[in-house]
Amino acid sequence: MSQLALIIEDDEDLASIFAEALRGVGFDVELVPDGRMAQDRLNNGVPPFLILLDMHLPHISGADLLTNIIKKDERFAKSVVIITTADARMGEAYTEQVDFVMIKPISFVQLRDLTSRLKPRAQQ
Amino acid sequence: MKAYLNQLLNVPGSDPDDARRRRLLNILLLGLLVIDVTALIVIVVDSAIRPGADPVENQVTSFGIGLVLVGILVIYQINRRYSGRWAALVFLLLLTIVLAITDSPINLTEGRSLFLFTIPIVMASLILAPAASFLFTALSAGILAYLSLSIERTVNLFGILGFFMLALVSWLSARSLEQALKELRIINANLDQVVIDRTRELAESLDRERIEAGRNQAILNSIADGVVVFDTNWNAILANPALRAMLEIPTELIVNKNFRDLIEHPRLSPRSRPLLYAMMEHDTQPPSFRIEWDEKTLSISAAQVYDNSKARHTNIGTVTVFRDFTREAEVEKLKSTFVAIVSHELRTPLNAILGYAEMFKESVYGPMNDKQVNMAERIMKNTQRLLGLINDLLDQAQMEAGKLTIQMALVRPAELLENLHGVMDQIAHERGLRLTSEIDDHLPDMLNGDGARLQQILVNLVNNAVKFTDQGTVHVRLFCPDENKWGMEVSDTGSGIPEDELPYIFDTFRQVEGGETRVHGGFGLGLSIVKQLVSLMSGEIKVNSKIGVGTTFTITLPLIVPAENPEKWRNL
Repeated sequence: MSQLALIIEDDEDLASIFAEALRGVGFDVELVPDGRMAQDRLNNGVPPFLILLDMHLPHISGADLLTNIIKKDERFAKSVVIITTADARMGEAYTEQVDFVMIKPISFVQLRDLTSRLKPRAQQ
Repeated sequence: MKAYLNQLLNVPGSDPDDARRRRLLNILLLGLLVIDVTALIVIVVDSAIRPGADPVENQVTSFGIGLVLVGILVIYQINRRYSGRWAALVFLLLLTIVLAITDSPINLTEGRSLFLFTIPIVMASLILAPAASFLFTALSAGILAYLSLSIERTVNLFGILGFFMLALVSWLSARSLEQALKELRIINANLDQVVIDRTRELAESLDRERIEAGRNQAILNSIADGVVVFDTNWNAILANPALRAMLEIPTELIVNKNFRDLIEHPRLSPRSRPLLYAMMEHDTQPPSFRIEWDEKTLSISAAQVYDNSKARHTNIGTVTVFRDFTREAEVEKLKSTFVAIVSHELRTPLNAILGYAEMFKESVYGPMNDKQVNMAERIMKNTQRLLGLINDLLDQAQMEAGKLTIQMALVRPAELLENLHGVMDQIAHERGLRLTSEIDDHLPDMLNGDGARLQQILVNLVNNAVKFTDQGTVHVRLFCPDENKWGMEVSDTGSGIPEDELPYIFDTFRQVEGGETRVHGGFGLGLSIVKQLVSLMSGEIKVNSKIGVGTTFTITLPLIVPAENPEKWRNL
């Protein structure tokens, strides 16, 4: 399995912070800044080991991507899915469907520590 | 015939007693007339069929009968036109004289005709005056004495004494009869007065009621709120023009209809129906609630009408007031959308600042010296504070818009404390304080509640306690006083709250002695939010504080153990 982490996040600064945290842990990072591009990427590219998905995206929402592609396509069955949202209620609603829910504001250290715990699984 | 007879016998007059006596005299005269005429007929027939009749005797008798006839007519005229008293007096005198010559003196004084004298005596008390019986007794006694002396016999004293006894009895009975009639007339007159008074009172109160009803109608017509009055069966009795205008439906669809018809009206949003049905069920309702009618938002408040006039306080219906809340609702929605967008927009860059500061602190791009790390920490701390304020503002705005709701789910009380320690231990430690906690053994491991909101309450209270305590301990206790309640208690060893400030600590945007805001940070929204959350959860919060000793906040909440009755909480 690849060491690829796909970060789907429209805010440039947050995307760069998340990327830094994941690179620090040792992932190869790929950034996608909007919903439609994310849809293309998910449907066509290599399935990543980890998907960090923002629920609020331009054009196609993270929720739609999750329900219509990630949860349906067998290729993502083994991917670790982390969703990020500022809405705690919304986050609670998805706890059963994804591996982790992170409520914004997301701490660099928190994300780094969480993903570093996941990393060994990738090497097994 | 009867009417004619009555007209003949009655004598109109203002004194009812006099009229009665005159009528009585007329009846007597009529009776005498009948006897007189009968006697005349008998004599005429007698002289015609009896050959041996004495014509002279018959002539004398006929003459007597004719005299009586004339007397009757004269007395009748006097009685009718002039005076009842005089007529009666003349009648009685004539009667006495006639009776005194109808038989031989010996028969009149001592024999069969003695009783004849009693006739005028009894009559006098009835047709002249009650006491007149004595007058005629005296007259009869005089005649009796004269007759006795004229035939040289002793006066019949027993007879005279009997007359007086009879006079006494007639006087008494006539008198009591008159008395009784007089009393009856007084009672009648009083009764009439009562009827008149009552009629007038009734008319006045009807007038008052009409004026009152007119005034109420004017009030109802002039107010902008829609008002509808229901009876106890929820049939609409009346509705004002404002309601028709608000709902844009004709009166016929409201008045004289049951409230259910209105609730089932297609223009009412189906989401609003349960609220209105709940109102009908007399369920515990908020003082006012909102419904959606087409594009409109209406605020409804209902009040029971009680009849306090009876000893028992009876419900006689409900007054329901509809207010067009559309504009306010739009403004509120705009405001909460605005606040939500602004806070989201604020949070994203703050998250970036926080992230970059952490990267500095973690020396992601090369080693940092202590001062640089310290600076990064300060940036982080201030950013956290700013984020906290934005969260408070967002909560407050949602609460004002009525959007913040409590969502019940399974909550593990121990987890609340674990999370609390996770968030607050570090902060307490930095201020040189100890954060301790305990859980009551009786408290169930799992209960129904809104975990996120309960956590928020605990964090807010502990954060507050840490802020205002310079040394010592902040202690958190989860307790369970009985099977229906559980609670959370946060106590500190801080400076305490002055007594005169206690009533205001839950107000929005307030902190004890305004100046301290700068020292401790925060808007003073924390406690206000806690209080509002607690009341949304149907609980209550109490504060106990002593200057220099510390402050204790105690929250009591309804205890619902899972699976017991989850339905009850679904819509809260």
